[in-house]
Amino acid sequence: MLDLVLFTIAWIVGSVLLEWLFHALNQYGTYFYTASSQAVDGEHAVAFILTILAPVIAFVVVMLIYNFIRFRARAGDTNLRSRHQFRTNKLFIGVWVLVSIGLNLLFFVHPSASALEQMFNSEQARLNRQDLEVDVVARQWQWFFSYPQYGISSAQDANGNATLYLPVNRNVKFVLRSYDPWHTYDPYIGVIHGFWIPAFGLKQDIIPGETRYMYVHTSKVTSYDVNPMVRVQCTEVCGPGHPYMEAPVHVVSAGDFQTWVKKQLKLQSD
Amino acid sequence: MSSTFAGTSESFLRKGRRMLPPVVRGLFWAAIGFFVVNTLVSQALDRTPFAPYVTKVSVTFGWAAATCGWLLGLGAWELVVRPYFGKPVEWEVPNDWRRYFMMSLDHKVVGLQYMVSSVSGFFIAGLAAMLMRLELMNSSLWTFPTPNAYLSTVGIHGTIMMFSFGTVMLVSGFGNYLIPLMIGSNSSAFPRVSAISQWLLPAGIITVALSPILGTWTTGWRGYAPLAEQDPNGIVFYYLGVFAMTLSSLLVSINLTATILFKRAKGLTWNRIPMYAWGILAASLLNIIWIPEIEMTFILALVSNVASLPLFAQIGTPLTYMEVFWLFGHPEVYIVVVPAFALWQEFLPVMGQKTLFGRAWGVLGLVFVMMFSGLVWAHHMFTNMRDDQMLPFSFFTEMISIPTGFAFLTSIGTVWKSKLRLTTPTLLVFMSMFNFLIGGVTGVMLADPVINLQAHDTFFVVGHFHYTIIGAMVFTFMAAAYYWLPKFSGRMYSEFWGKVGAIWVFVAFNCAFGQFLLIGLRGMNRWVPVYPPYLRNMNFEISLFAFLLGLGFLFNLVHIVWMWRYGKPAKANPWNAKTLEWQSTAMPGETNFNPPPEVLTGFYDYSDEQPVWKPESPVEVS
Ligand code: HEM
Ligand SMILES: [Cu+2]
Ligand SMILES: [Cu+2]
Repeated sequence: MLDLVLFTIAWIVGSVLLEWLFHALNQYGTYFYTASSQAVDGEHAVAFILTILAPVIAFVVVMLIYNFIRFRARAGDTNLRSRHQFRTNKLFIGVWVLVSIGLNLLFFVHPSASALEQMFNSEQARLNRQDLEVDVVARQWQWFFSYPQYGISSAQDANGNATLYLPVNRNVKFVLRSYDPWHTYDPYIGVIHGFWIPAFGLKQDIIPGETRYMYVHTSKVTSYDVNPMVRVQCTEVCGPGHPYMEAPVHVVSAGDFQTWVKKQLKLQSD
Repeated sequence: MSSTFAGTSESFLRKGRRMLPPVVRGLFWAAIGFFVVNTLVSQALDRTPFAPYVTKVSVTFGWAAATCGWLLGLGAWELVVRPYFGKPVEWEVPNDWRRYFMMSLDHKVVGLQYMVSSVSGFFIAGLAAMLMRLELMNSSLWTFPTPNAYLSTVGIHGTIMMFSFGTVMLVSGFGNYLIPLMIGSNSSAFPRVSAISQWLLPAGIITVALSPILGTWTTGWRGYAPLAEQDPNGIVFYYLGVFAMTLSSLLVSINLTATILFKRAKGLTWNRIPMYAWGILAASLLNIIWIPEIEMTFILALVSNVASLPLFAQIGTPLTYMEVFWLFGHPEVYIVVVPAFALWQEFLPVMGQKTLFGRAWGVLGLVFVMMFSGLVWAHHMFTNMRDDQMLPFSFFTEMISIPTGFAFLTSIGTVWKSKLRLTTPTLLVFMSMFNFLIGGVTGVMLADPVINLQAHDTFFVVGHFHYTIIGAMVFTFMAAAYYWLPKFSGRMYSEFWGKVGAIWVFVAFNCAFGQFLLIGLRGMNRWVPVYPPYLRNMNFEISLFAFLLGLGFLFNLVHIVWMWRYGKPAKANPWNAKTLEWQSTAMPGETNFNPPPEVLTGFYDYSDEQPVWKPESPVEVS
């Protein structure tokens, strides 16, 4: 009995401490930097799971420490065996099994299924009529971004490097393809790449021979210069140039976006 | 002195005839095999412009011939080929150190051979990890001359770790040595199979480690096509090396499964089977189901590569390779960790001298983890799926944490109110449980598609799987090494240095890999020798802890090897365990049980002093 009481107290203290720790972590930003509604969905999911799991983690950790200290064999103890020999405890096992099933079902419903719905909400046709479309082409080892709605065939900065500009608070539809625009006749040349913008909280593999779509909803004005997580980064190993497959991203106001479009068109016509 | 396992009668030993030492003969035959077949293919059968001596095609066939030569030279000639043609088995194993350098029919010798090969693999791949961490201390290229060199190192690290250590040490190493002992048998079911399979392992390790000779390869351990088809020839040795190593595991699994099914001592009924044997049975079944699948895949990929077929290229189906790789790849991680779970449940009752708690749940856990593991592969591919396609895989992945939890349930229930001896193995099992808890929690997070889409292919995932593999499997392996050291060597390690070693690796491990998780969330992606400078400080720190970890492993190795030779002599059953392996004092080369044992009760009941076994009484022939 004493052990049960002591352990329970330690467990509660442990849970509180852990909840506090996770809360602090979430305040700080578990994802460090989020700039799209999808990233915020992910961050909420982490926060939810950790909050629910804190007492579970605390249970196991406190149990390990408690057992280790409290039930250790003492020096000079002549009888090696424990007095308590039991094979089972229906209540403990029953609660354990039910709680673990319950928690998993809970996590499946929320956040897995529900947040998934939320994250892919921007894909719903009724919501994305006004989408900005960006065609993304990955080749070894370069990104190309074009804006068919604006006639920009390859967005570049002043040095000729690929760059991605997006207006804030818009749905963006990325159209993802992997091929070499300079060797379109060679079907062997494409490999798998991964399209990821860390601050946007999701990624997708780009498979040669397939066209895929990825939707995000930008949520704040920011750029690579503000935080280096606002960048495009290839995440699927694609050969020696893989680490160099990155490009800066700028999320700007609608007005700045129009200015940028004009500049691009002018650059293009020069 | 000839060994009891040679299976030859004196009259067959032709005293006068001398043979090269088997290892030398194996190397010699391998060299001959390679030169003959390679020359034949590259110069005659498949001559290419300018006739280079080594081509992709010739090296593939040359390698196969070399491997056959190696195995035949080490004893397969006498053990398999000649008996097949009706000749008697003539294979004399001397009863001294030389038995470790040839094929041996004693499962204890094979077990030790496997352990040595496997540990060598661990340190070779560990060295690769150290080089990678050295490179990552800086955000630009400085240790390696090219990104190719770095990526080849990543691939060598992952491949050798997984296929020569992760899936091998606890199954082929400890399994071969201990399973026959634990079930009261004098040998494994097919001793010749394990004798041969052990020698495939070093062949595989060397093949992968030397792959850069043929050229760098950039795919990492998964060998994703179509990138693999572009790679220079090094990838050929990846396929071949993995083939040798997985074949080795497959053969062992067949042998151990048959051993557990058919070689159990009298009275060792199904509900008395030791926990470790359950673990090995589950892992072996996974090997038997999934290794043929991945070997077929690799053969297809190899053919696709050497014969330039477009199987997995754009005009083929690039996704197919991914699917079939992970179809095997996920069960693979349970092959790694299931034996470790079983070992927790093996050691804790002994160390606490208390009856195993909820044994049936423990077994159920192992078996259900095994069965679920085939249903979750696509959680490695959420970035290739949309929306609700992910849900079934997310569901099963989350559900797998339930049977996994049973290993914790039984372990915790067992130590509650026990008299736990705080030995090094106990400490390591507790550390292992803590680490796997982290691995499990991060796993539940990754099973959530929304989180997965962010964390996939970042260092968060790298942190997660190192927590499960190093955290659970390697720590448990170390516990097993200390626990059974008195069994293997008759000598005891030093409790003090053992604990120093355990705490050392625990601290270094958590400081290094805990930060892997964080740096992954901060935007560090995988397979990059070069990364944005804002991640440099954290990477620098991680590397320092990683070096500390590497030294910690080395420290434990030195301690164990030292104590193997110079430790204090140990009692026959130093832990007061009830399982059968401690009831035999046989050393390699000696018979385990004579007469065979008869099991009277289960091995995990510490409530009474009744003997668990008695020598089997001679059978009355009627
Ligand atoms: C000494 C401790 C270890 C350190 C410091 C270490 C470090 C690393 C690092 C830095 C990577 C590269 C991650 C990336 O860029 O994708 C990696 C990958 C990997 N490691 Fe380890 N590791 C260690 C031990 C192990 C062990 C014991 C295993 C398994 C038994 C293992 C299995 C793997 C695998 C499978 C990969 C993936 C390789 C790939 O992406 O192809 N590692 N490790
Ligand atoms: Cu890439
Ligand atoms: Cu998996």
